[in-house]
Amino acid sequence: MWAFLTRTQGRGRLTLVDWLSYGYLAFGFLLIFIPVVWLGLNSVKTAFQIERQDISLIPGDYTRVARATVQGPDGKRIFFITDLPDWVLNWRDLSAADQAAQDVAGFLSAQTGDAALALRSHLGQTEPQALAVIAAQGLPDWLPRYRTMSASAKAEVNIEAALAGLSPANDRLLREFTGLYPGARLTSQILVSAPDPQTGEIRQWGVSNIDIKRAFTPARPVDAVNAKVTKLPTASLQADRNVQIAWENYIDPLSGSSYGVTVDFTRCLTNSVIVTIVGTAITLLINSMAAFALSKYKFRGQVMFLALILATLMVPPTITLVGVFKAIQATGISGSLWGIIIPGSATPAGVFMLRQYMLTLPDELIEAARMDSASEWKIFWKIVAPLALPAIAALGILSIVWRWNDLIVPLVAVATVKEAYTIQLCLLEFRGEHTSQEHYRLAMTMVSLIPTTLVFVFLQRYITTGIANSGMK
Amino acid sequence: MTSIQLKNIKKSYGKTEVIHGIDLDIPSGEFCVFVGPSGCGKSTLLRMIAGLEDVTAGDLLIDGARVNGISAAKRGLAMVFQSYALYPHMSVRKNLSFGLENINLPKAEIKSRVEDAARMLQIDGYLDRKPGQLSGGQRQRVAIGRAVVREPRAFLFDEPLSNLDAELRVATRGEISALHQRLGNTMIYVTHDQVEAMTMADKIAVLRAGRLEQFGAPLELYNAPANMFVAGFIGSPRMNFLKAGLIAGAGQTILRLQDGQDIALSTDRFGRPASRPAVMGIRPGDLEITDSDAPLHMQVTAVEQLGSESILFGTSPCDEELVVTARGQTAVRVGDRLNLRPNPDAIHVFDAQSEESLALQ
Repeated sequence: MWAFLTRTQGRGRLTLVDWLSYGYLAFGFLLIFIPVVWLGLNSVKTAFQIERQDISLIPGDYTRVARATVQGPDGKRIFFITDLPDWVLNWRDLSAADQAAQDVAGFLSAQTGDAALALRSHLGQTEPQALAVIAAQGLPDWLPRYRTMSASAKAEVNIEAALAGLSPANDRLLREFTGLYPGARLTSQILVSAPDPQTGEIRQWGVSNIDIKRAFTPARPVDAVNAKVTKLPTASLQADRNVQIAWENYIDPLSGSSYGVTVDFTRCLTNSVIVTIVGTAITLLINSMAAFALSKYKFRGQVMFLALILATLMVPPTITLVGVFKAIQATGISGSLWGIIIPGSATPAGVFMLRQYMLTLPDELIEAARMDSASEWKIFWKIVAPLALPAIAALGILSIVWRWNDLIVPLVAVATVKEAYTIQLCLLEFRGEHTSQEHYRLAMTMVSLIPTTLVFVFLQRYITTGIANSGMK
Repeated sequence: MTSIQLKNIKKSYGKTEVIHGIDLDIPSGEFCVFVGPSGCGKSTLLRMIAGLEDVTAGDLLIDGARVNGISAAKRGLAMVFQSYALYPHMSVRKNLSFGLENINLPKAEIKSRVEDAARMLQIDGYLDRKPGQLSGGQRQRVAIGRAVVREPRAFLFDEPLSNLDAELRVATRGEISALHQRLGNTMIYVTHDQVEAMTMADKIAVLRAGRLEQFGAPLELYNAPANMFVAGFIGSPRMNFLKAGLIAGAGQTILRLQDGQDIALSTDRFGRPASRPAVMGIRPGDLEITDSDAPLHMQVTAVEQLGSESILFGTSPCDEELVVTARGQTAVRVGDRLNLRPNPDAIHVFDAQSEESLALQ
């Protein structure tokens, strides 16, 4: 391998041609490889990182800090809470199961002061706690509905009277719950360290985003309460990144537990495999039989048939799309995998490619087989097909790639039946009208590349011989 | 035992007729050679017998039954192709057994037939090799073996030796003859090489441009060619042809050569034909070099010494080409002038117009 890669044209030393060849090879390699690497790295980024459109190549996140905004009797208080566990910071991105797995009550009971208020709201505990208080204290039953009542309905009830007599903590809880008080908020910010523009002393700051295209980044110091926003030169920011690989991008869709996705990815994968294998088998059989007839039999209208088949190559598939849809509908295979498999079964390019290859097989072989009492089917099966194997394999690979990557025919054939979705439709589904699950889409795109890559790795030697011999691309 | 009969067989491709009505009767067990120059239709004729080409008109009979419409597979013939046409993806064993499996012979029978044929043709050592791993001669044997195992009614050979080198060709020629001796099947063999035809055939059919020129035993064709084409085609070196006039005299018939020399013809062989322009044919071996006066003269232009015989090339006084073979080694040199006396019993006379032989049959 190494000897092959370091081969030179002359004796030992690299000549100009060597340099150019290696340069060209490296360029071509990178041209193909860089997008795949990019996709691979992005596919393990967290949903949070992708939504932020973080273009960094490294999957993972900056060290984060929580910025809390709490409304108090004496106005808004903005302060930072450090050292929160990851699950608290990422609470809104967790699945329902992951949220349920955490000991929220235990965590909250350890918190005090305004931090506790902000975290209670952030962790979604305001409503259950308020309902518990309403039930325990026997408060009016309209209180839970108060937030959504119309202005005239609110005027008919006396909320202040209802809340009178509660402890300050419960009073605050119910005021937040009924919307009399703005709820406390918690946002996750990036923790950076940078010199203070005034004093030059290194301090820690919370920033919402780091955009290297902007000269200044607005930041608040972490160790101060209600500090004003300071504009820090972006170049002076130092942020820690913790590499974090989001395997759940792969695990969730493959285990069927992805949030906000209505298609079953493993089902799509199975469908695609079935469509590809069955479709390719049918394609190879039909195409090679047609090619055998066109190359080895002499019959009236032979040239016309070939011309007709080749002429269909010149019609863009989009033009026949409506016809294909109508045909699928009329034959009742719409919505089933057959609707995807059958329309693409006979490919003119494949017939032509196999015919060109079969023309090179000597006629005497077929005549010898006829003298050997072989039936025409046997001649095809035992003589022509094995000898045309390089071309058939090459067409097989092309067919696999075509089938696997096809979006249009599945879209036409099974768009309304989610159980029959192929992988390409599935990928489309990750970006819906209301939700966008790009992190799943990137990961599953990566998964969808694996089969075609494997096919190429194992069958590439047939491609070179088959395509070279049949003069097709 | 199988006899093959062709009755006014014709073949056309579109409007072009390539075989113009051939009648041929090949008796059972005979080794028949179709010979002729390239494009004479001998391969087409063979392929029609095999069933690989349709017969446009006429009747083709095998053992008296008309087989025009019967497919190649059902005629029970076996063919050895010029290119051997061995199945390249199958082992030698599979090549031999393929035809037998197609007619659903029992496995044991196939095995014994393949092994017998392989032993007979001395290819039993490489039964498990692919054809690509064999030499030309070995492939040739496999191709013959593939025909032999079928135990066909008749064998058809389409120029099977043309891809072999000279030495191997002579050896294989002998083997095919031996095979015929042993099996006794009817065989039809196509070649453009008259030496192959002469050495192997029981009967030779000489073809030219889709017509049968003569059909007979090798020596019959050699000694009594029906026309100038057959006379020129059979025999090596080729027969000499000299323009002459045939003059029917009172007592005898005289052949007068262009330079005025007269040669008397025996009435036993030629009867009393009328006067006409003619061509005299004489084989190179039937000319004797003599010191005394002789009717033919030759200026030597080239000498080929083969050791056992010498071939002398030259021109007659009228600038016609002449070839003489002399037994043993010769002292004749280029430029010498030779007197040649033809063997009167070996003179052939052809009509100058129709090129047909004037000899009495």
